[in-house]
Amino acid sequence: MRQIDLGPITRIEGHLNVRTFVENGVIMDAQCISEMFRGFEIILRGRDPLDAQQITQRICGVCPYAHAIASCYAQEAAYGLKVPKNGRILHNLIQGANHLYDYLLQFYQLSALDFVDVTAIVQYRGNDADLLKVKEWVQFQTQSGMSYPAAPFLPRLSGQYIDDVELNIGALKHYLEAMALQKKANQAAAIFGGKFPHATAIFPGGCSQEARIDLIMAYQALIREVRDFYRDKYVPDVAAVAAKFPKYWEIGASKGGFLSFGHLPLSPESGAKRLLAAGILLDGRVAPVDFNLIRQDTKYSKYDSASGLKVRDSDTSPSSHKDGAYSWTKAPRYNGRMVEVGPAARVLVDYLQGHNAAIKKSVDHFIAWARITPEKLNSVLGRHLSRAILGLAIADFLLEESERIDIGAPTMADIEIPASGEGFGAAEASRGALLHYIRIENHKVEKYECVVPTTWNCSPRDDMGTPGALESALIGTKVSDPEAQMEAVRIVHSFDPCIACAVH
Amino acid sequence: MITRREFIKMAAALSAAFGLEGLPAPVAAALNRIDPKAVPRIIYLQGLSCTGCSISLLQADSPSPLSLITDFSQLAYHSDLSAISGKKALDLINAYISGQAGPYYLAVEGAIPEKMPEACVIGDKPFAAYLKTAAQTMSGAVAVGACACDGGIPGAEGNLTGAVGLKDFYEKQGIKKLVVNIRGCSVHPDWVWHTVIHLTKVGLPELVNGAPALFYSRKVHEQCPRYHDFQEEIFAKKLGDKGCLFKLGCLGPDTPADCPTRWWNGGRTWCIDSNAPCIGCASPGFARSKSIPFYRLSEKVKKGEKA
Repeated sequence: MRQIDLGPITRIEGHLNVRTFVENGVIMDAQCISEMFRGFEIILRGRDPLDAQQITQRICGVCPYAHAIASCYAQEAAYGLKVPKNGRILHNLIQGANHLYDYLLQFYQLSALDFVDVTAIVQYRGNDADLLKVKEWVQFQTQSGMSYPAAPFLPRLSGQYIDDVELNIGALKHYLEAMALQKKANQAAAIFGGKFPHATAIFPGGCSQEARIDLIMAYQALIREVRDFYRDKYVPDVAAVAAKFPKYWEIGASKGGFLSFGHLPLSPESGAKRLLAAGILLDGRVAPVDFNLIRQDTKYSKYDSASGLKVRDSDTSPSSHKDGAYSWTKAPRYNGRMVEVGPAARVLVDYLQGHNAAIKKSVDHFIAWARITPEKLNSVLGRHLSRAILGLAIADFLLEESERIDIGAPTMADIEIPASGEGFGAAEASRGALLHYIRIENHKVEKYECVVPTTWNCSPRDDMGTPGALESALIGTKVSDPEAQMEAVRIVHSFDPCIACAVH
Repeated sequence: MITRREFIKMAAALSAAFGLEGLPAPVAAALNRIDPKAVPRIIYLQGLSCTGCSISLLQADSPSPLSLITDFSQLAYHSDLSAISGKKALDLINAYISGQAGPYYLAVEGAIPEKMPEACVIGDKPFAAYLKTAAQTMSGAVAVGACACDGGIPGAEGNLTGAVGLKDFYEKQGIKKLVVNIRGCSVHPDWVWHTVIHLTKVGLPELVNGAPALFYSRKVHEQCPRYHDFQEEIFAKKLGDKGCLFKLGCLGPDTPADCPTRWWNGGRTWCIDSNAPCIGCASPGFARSKSIPFYRLSEKVKKGEKA
């Protein structure tokens, strides 16, 4: 067996190595190795509790709003806040728009170059100004004699790319458009969040921004543009990739369950129904989520803190040279079971409960089109498709939700921080189920713990030796070129890892 | 702090790196459209970071992000955008930092874990090792964001990694190199890209505290549209109120940045316009101390105390 490291993995967030062990062109074993540690939970100890939704946003600059929202939910529980209707709606408008930007970025900027042949641009014969500019630039660069011309788009991994010139050029045009559209989604979120990344206007109990009609109109106009792009381009582009690479319905399945905390509450109170349903999917059955069944193992993680601790008992004590440990990521398990979180989990958990009509309609349409079963959403293509159809459902919801704002009514609760208290906050980040836990003693943070989507997906083995979701999706994969392993890189990208989140 | 003599020396070296030697900088800028062969190459490395600054750079308005990485610079390596990964990506990085791939600029996002180098690894080496090698070959460095400038939240009180900013790291290693600090958590895209444009077309911009004076010479408070409220003592009493946010803990008086005139996200918004107090994210001491909370709500203000 040959050991081949695929890291540093690019077009993801952060510092990830994937160590593979290859024999006869098959990945026999794989390790997800997170290579960065900052210690957010330790830094949070002893701070003012209201600092938490600011500090935890800095765990991840790609999905900061998800951390802000999860922290706000946790603080709302700990403070016993009564959230006004507008407060929750504005949280939703911010968090939903953040997903819309993130899915665009993930598919076009982070994943598309795994499939699209960028060199096709030199064959462009049309008169689109943006594409002509890129064409000239690539031609100039490649003829200039400079080292590494046309970076960061070249060099690239060797492998099979789309061979249809028109399709490639169309996708490159959409790459450029998506770059502009992600800004609009972020502008929409920032209208109520104060700025992006790292919003200052999000608080437990709502937002400090007012419920003004001019702001709502601007928000809707931006989201409508983004929604149209999802409908007219994103969804068809995913379908085009699926048509060219149908074997990726069969590649990259994780071998555990699925977990979703549910996305976008439909009313202000805690425990409210959500647009997308929560649930834990194990052995084909969906059950309600119980945070007390989540434990984090550390046998293979670089910590000497006890293994198997529940979230509220968690501990983080770094030990970078611990024997046998290979990652800074802990190994969370649900009732001892390995699970995948993220877009496919969100869709499957909702769909199998027959919960959201828009999701059901999209899933039914696409599984009929691709002639697959819903279970095949557990695949490289399934994760990409899930993001696209989630984006459509979320965008439509945001346009309706923004109509429900009571103009001029309060947008946040009056915050009073108790001497002691505790609370869980569970949200869906774009990458999956996100849990924050806060415990307050003497008006200060006594304990803070985050169990983050990529902590689940890129977890190392647990104490029983069971691989994490991404590891399990890689093991058994056939690779045509053991050095480049385009197949493995496509699997990794479909999970959209974020190591800053995973370790924090 | 660098002396004027050192500054001029470095500015000259820098201008040479960008092919503008011998001409007064504004003249060179006026005469030249940018020579595509002379655009600065950027090797963009991330340390203890959240990628928020990179994401912010993608929010650039005019010029567009694509124009910025093709017309005004060439982004030779960036872990979020580079097509290549693995060993070949390491080869590319090493070709530049060993000096074999031509002149380049180092951009660093994220802090350096000085006491725990293994807390940040790229390929087979600690992040810190790349920075030491690059110091020998780079034309200069841009520290992008709070973490790379001053340690940021990874360097906040109680941290275990000994996270520091780039300038601090180099000084402790006895390395003297130009580091332009672009503070902010995250940076505003203009602060970074307009610095790159300045370097490309004009040369090194004037610096205060290692940061371009163009963006950081005045405090948020001094330029705040609610300065009138402050003078008239119209203060917000609780979060969500309008008026001057000073009594809620607004750190605008302590924070050098042009947010009040530049605004964020395509000029649509910024913190104080959404009634959110400035949390001082562009200040060197951002989030540093546990005893200075972002907001003044949870502690009762004692009588006679300021605010």
